[in-house]
Amino acid sequence: MKWLISNKGFLCILFAVFGVLPTFANSYLLYVSNLALLFIILAIGLNLLIGYAGQLAFANAAMFGIGAYAAALLQVRLGVPYWVALPAGGVIASLIGTLMAWPALRLSGIYLALATLAFAQFTLWLFMHWEDLTFGATGFAVPRLSFAPLPVTPEQGIYFLSWIITIGLTLFAWNLVRSRVGRAFVAMRDNEVAAASLGINLLRYKVFAFALSGFYAGIAGGLHCGLLNYVAPESFDLFQMVIHKSMVIVGGVGSVVGSVIGAALLVATLELLREFKSLQEIAFGAILLIFILFMPLGLVSFLKRVLPGWEEEVHLPDARTAPAVEAADELRPVGERSP
Amino acid sequence: MLGYLITSGLALGALYALVAIGIVIVFKSTGAINLAQGELFMLGGFFAFMFHVQMGYPYIPSLLLAVVASFFIGALTYQFAFRPLMKAGLVSVLLASIAVSFLLKGVARNIWGGVGDYIPFPPMITASAINLNGFIVLPQQLVAFGASIALMLLIVAYFKFTRSGKWLQAIADNVKAATLVGIRVGALHRLAFALGAASAGAAAVLMAPLTLLYPDIGFNLFIKAFAAAVLGGLHSIAGAVIGGLIVGLVEALVAGYVGSKFQDVSAFVVIMLVLVFIPRGIMGGKAMRKV
Repeated sequence: MKWLISNKGFLCILFAVFGVLPTFANSYLLYVSNLALLFIILAIGLNLLIGYAGQLAFANAAMFGIGAYAAALLQVRLGVPYWVALPAGGVIASLIGTLMAWPALRLSGIYLALATLAFAQFTLWLFMHWEDLTFGATGFAVPRLSFAPLPVTPEQGIYFLSWIITIGLTLFAWNLVRSRVGRAFVAMRDNEVAAASLGINLLRYKVFAFALSGFYAGIAGGLHCGLLNYVAPESFDLFQMVIHKSMVIVGGVGSVVGSVIGAALLVATLELLREFKSLQEIAFGAILLIFILFMPLGLVSFLKRVLPGWEEEVHLPDARTAPAVEAADELRPVGERSP
Repeated sequence: MLGYLITSGLALGALYALVAIGIVIVFKSTGAINLAQGELFMLGGFFAFMFHVQMGYPYIPSLLLAVVASFFIGALTYQFAFRPLMKAGLVSVLLASIAVSFLLKGVARNIWGGVGDYIPFPPMITASAINLNGFIVLPQQLVAFGASIALMLLIVAYFKFTRSGKWLQAIADNVKAATLVGIRVGALHRLAFALGAASAGAAAVLMAPLTLLYPDIGFNLFIKAFAAAVLGGLHSIAGAVIGGLIVGLVEALVAGYVGSKFQDVSAFVVIMLVLVFIPRGIMGGKAMRKV
């Protein structure tokens, strides 16, 4: 019984529910659940980068878009089958994510945030204006998937595919953060100089964190294109980025289970307000603000307090007790930070 | 062609510079980047629209009212969203400012229209274009340019000659020393955020007649103003002005000679290149060290 209310039990139950859902759900519920699975991937990928590796990047929506565009364009332009285009989209997003590690080696904190924000807007601009490649602002349709030998409709097929991939990527992240790599990420996040002095290769781990996060977002993008059979630039704008950030913060920065919870809850919120764009913006702005102000460690910190079986093995970054020196350090010109 | 591009680039650049000055004022005195600056700009424009078109006040008073309203919105956002986070770290403030920007955008969309509603704003003067030795100038651009230069001088004078301006300089220079001599740092942070919002609002009321108003205008403008501020080194008002004029000129020239769809790219490219290669900006020769 105790196991059931632990974080492991919670994950198992949640994914089991997601697994049996297609037997009774109507097509709308199936679509929303599929969306929730995609956002779980996105939130975990972003959390690995900002929560564990401590790199405040703002380009997750752009990576999501790059994955979707890569998978869709490979199919439409080159006739590549979806089964190849999906992983290829992940790899392409991962490679472009790797490029972003380059400014991250020189910038940190708000400077990195704004450089990646500019990069994300640049990507969005490319989606809209590089018409020869991307079909421009109106987007384009992608051929419907067929799961021919299997006895499932395309909707169920993409759902189960997303379900399997989400479980796989969640387990991978779950184990990764408990491994040598995850500990190196956390060490790097807490203090780069101390981490480097312990023999952690900052270059390698930063590049790996960006590549991994890009891969998660890229795979989610490929699944998104398979789910909607349509790709358009406005799915990958700044609001999308705010959605991802809110999921990570609502769930809990530096917690894989937290990202799962945050993604599931916020997809539901998003769908409830689907008709009203202005209400979506107000709701997500308010949710993000309320959590930053009053519960900066997210829902996980609350669950950890009330559920005795809940174990979070990785220390959460405590925004409240961040040393003042570090804050002052941010103010200095980038070249002159104190060690 | 070139003459027109230069004048329109400078007119636009002066407005970017005004928003950039807002970013610099906030950054210098608090160390935070306010991502909602663009939305404060957007609100300033809509306030002017509300006072002038919807409520029918005369032109100049409604512009002044819009700037005053922006000032108070800036103070309010600080009071409710940023003040509790100033000690928690600047990254939290940055995230909170994104949240605020979406809140403001959603509210504005609710009040003044949905996606794709572009609201025209009546021009200040309806005179036809002037030809100065081959430089074709729209009077509206001239007014915007002149007014923004005047406002910049006003801001510089404020920092030089008033007590609160000097206090703001003091907390930018050394927060601990300023606290020790009894300067109320919290109140000044609020003032900095309010002044930043007011300069964004002023830019908006000057720019509104040149362009259309829509709820999504803010972020694009923030990116351009941030490019200007970061080009100027984020620490100096003079740098922000020069950065703004450069960004405006580059944009106009790119739009004229490369193609209008490339206009918006120049700002992104400037930010990425400057942050990575010359993070202190073109005016950052002597590094300002903060304690």
